[in-house]
Amino acid sequence: MTGAAVQKADDKLLICDNIERYFGGLKALSNISIHVNRGEIFGLVGPNGSGKTTMVNAITGFYPPQSGKIILNGEDITGRKPHLIAKLGVARTFQNLALFKGMSVLDNILLGRHIHMNPSVFGTALYWWVARKHEVKNRKIVEEVIDFLQLQSARDEPVETIPLGLQKRVELARALVAEPSFLVLDEPMAGMNQEEKEYMARFVLDARDEMGMTIFLIEHHMDVVTGICDRMVALSYGELLADGVPKDVIAHPRVVEAYLGGAH
Amino acid sequence: MFYRQAGVHHSNYKTDSALFPIPFDKWSIYTMLALGIFAPAIFGSFALTSYLLPWMIWAGAALSLNLLIGWAGQFHFGYAAVMSIGGYTAIHATLAGIPFEIALILAGLMSMVVGVIFGAAAMRVKGLYLALATLAMQFVVDWVLTHVPAIGGGASATLQAPDMTLLGFKITSEVGYYYVAFGWLLLVTLFLLNMRRTGFGRALVAVREKDYAASILGVNSFYFKSVAFAVSSFMGGVSGAILVFCFYHAVTPEQFTVNVSIQLLAMVIVGGLGSIIGSYFGAAFILLLPGALNTLVAYVSELLGLQIGIETLAHLPNLFYGILIIGFLLYEPLGLAKVYDNIRKYLMVWPFGYSKR
Repeated sequence: MTGAAVQKADDKLLICDNIERYFGGLKALSNISIHVNRGEIFGLVGPNGSGKTTMVNAITGFYPPQSGKIILNGEDITGRKPHLIAKLGVARTFQNLALFKGMSVLDNILLGRHIHMNPSVFGTALYWWVARKHEVKNRKIVEEVIDFLQLQSARDEPVETIPLGLQKRVELARALVAEPSFLVLDEPMAGMNQEEKEYMARFVLDARDEMGMTIFLIEHHMDVVTGICDRMVALSYGELLADGVPKDVIAHPRVVEAYLGGAH
Repeated sequence: MFYRQAGVHHSNYKTDSALFPIPFDKWSIYTMLALGIFAPAIFGSFALTSYLLPWMIWAGAALSLNLLIGWAGQFHFGYAAVMSIGGYTAIHATLAGIPFEIALILAGLMSMVVGVIFGAAAMRVKGLYLALATLAMQFVVDWVLTHVPAIGGGASATLQAPDMTLLGFKITSEVGYYYVAFGWLLLVTLFLLNMRRTGFGRALVAVREKDYAASILGVNSFYFKSVAFAVSSFMGGVSGAILVFCFYHAVTPEQFTVNVSIQLLAMVIVGGLGSIIGSYFGAAFILLLPGALNTLVAYVSELLGLQIGIETLAHLPNLFYGILIIGFLLYEPLGLAKVYDNIRKYLMVWPFGYSKR
């Protein structure tokens, strides 16, 4: 996957070309080139500290890469600010939840509609004539996602008071209501039990099948990744180890070595 | 007890997002509103001008500051300076013959411009550093007011407020001043109430809580912080103008010193960050408590026949005042609003306390 892949961008939603990112002397990502096809669930695995979250942060604009190019939908987004990348239809969840405390579950999810709402001071001052119809319209969309993720009973609770599994689901809901074309999930199943994991896997599949999103999934649970991903890559110490369909990647000798240690 | 939620079902999003979805709340607000409207008929002239009027004005100012601190999470230690810009602008504008309505808007705009200039510079830093940067605004404005005769009228000068005419009515009576302050407070309150249920308010809270998470949702945090500074400064400027015209009837730099900034901050914090009713409580607490404590200390010392020196007598209320504020910060950091909320939640299920959620 080198420069040649950049040309035919039609079926490729995301192309990362030779991404490099270092923090001081630490090379977090070295020459990573990956691409994500439209409509697929793409998995990213790797041991702790292998650069998975850095990769996502590079794509979503938090840590722009020092060299290399990121192309979304044929558009070069390298170095663009996160809130501008969000406007291109990218949504994500965070590994360590990033919900807004002091707000209800409903308000948290409504924030996911921000890019579709264009809120203003005048709309707020003249609520009855300006903002109300937007609020009601967006509330309807939010309620559909609340139904989809079965969050009805938690709707009015302050978000910090509900259990972790539900909080993860709220964060997914917040990402889903933005109606993104590209959804990045950073370890959505961390800390979940088997049942919650299965629920979440089902939601991820539904998000792709029913809402037509392309999904970029970071996950440690190999059963989930191999079960739902169409393609995946493995990283270790910022280097790309393997790229392909899940069963080939997890059987790749270098991936096995990274996880279990080499045969000495 | 009174606040039954049972049986309150909203079947569409419009009524569900009403300002006061619980009927009891709605009726108590209407009662308060009626009380506010008929206050001049109910209360005597003394209570009206020395308690209600300042309370209304300062509650409006506290609410404006609360927007910035409570919602957007940006500390401002120089809010009295913001208000003074409004006050001086309104005086100079009306002295130049500009109608009072337009002078009020000019006051807001001027405060907004200066506030945003300082705010934009200050927003490069966060937290305590931001607080100190805004404190710089206080001292810069103080210096300008005392050292630039064209604005402040020279050192220790007082500019008299001319007569005001609002919407064709000449306002000269106490009742008139009261209604101007009351009207402005209503506008500010309505704006903040609306903010609680619109995307604008939610974006501000998002920026306050986690700006990185907000940015991935498409919220431009620098923009929303700037807008918060702008709106808050605008409202602060108008509040300052109303304070000068309706209460002091003149303006001097001493009305807007750093002490006043701290007092405003105390109103917001003691009242409750991010709470509307809290700012009402906070303003009342900070304004009325020193006087009430004075009376109380004098009464108690007389009652017990204590021989307290006149100086100690003067300082004791300050002591209690300080203790109360520290007490609040220690035991109820969310302020009087939280105390109110606790009582309200208790009454909501009383006498079936076990059904508490």
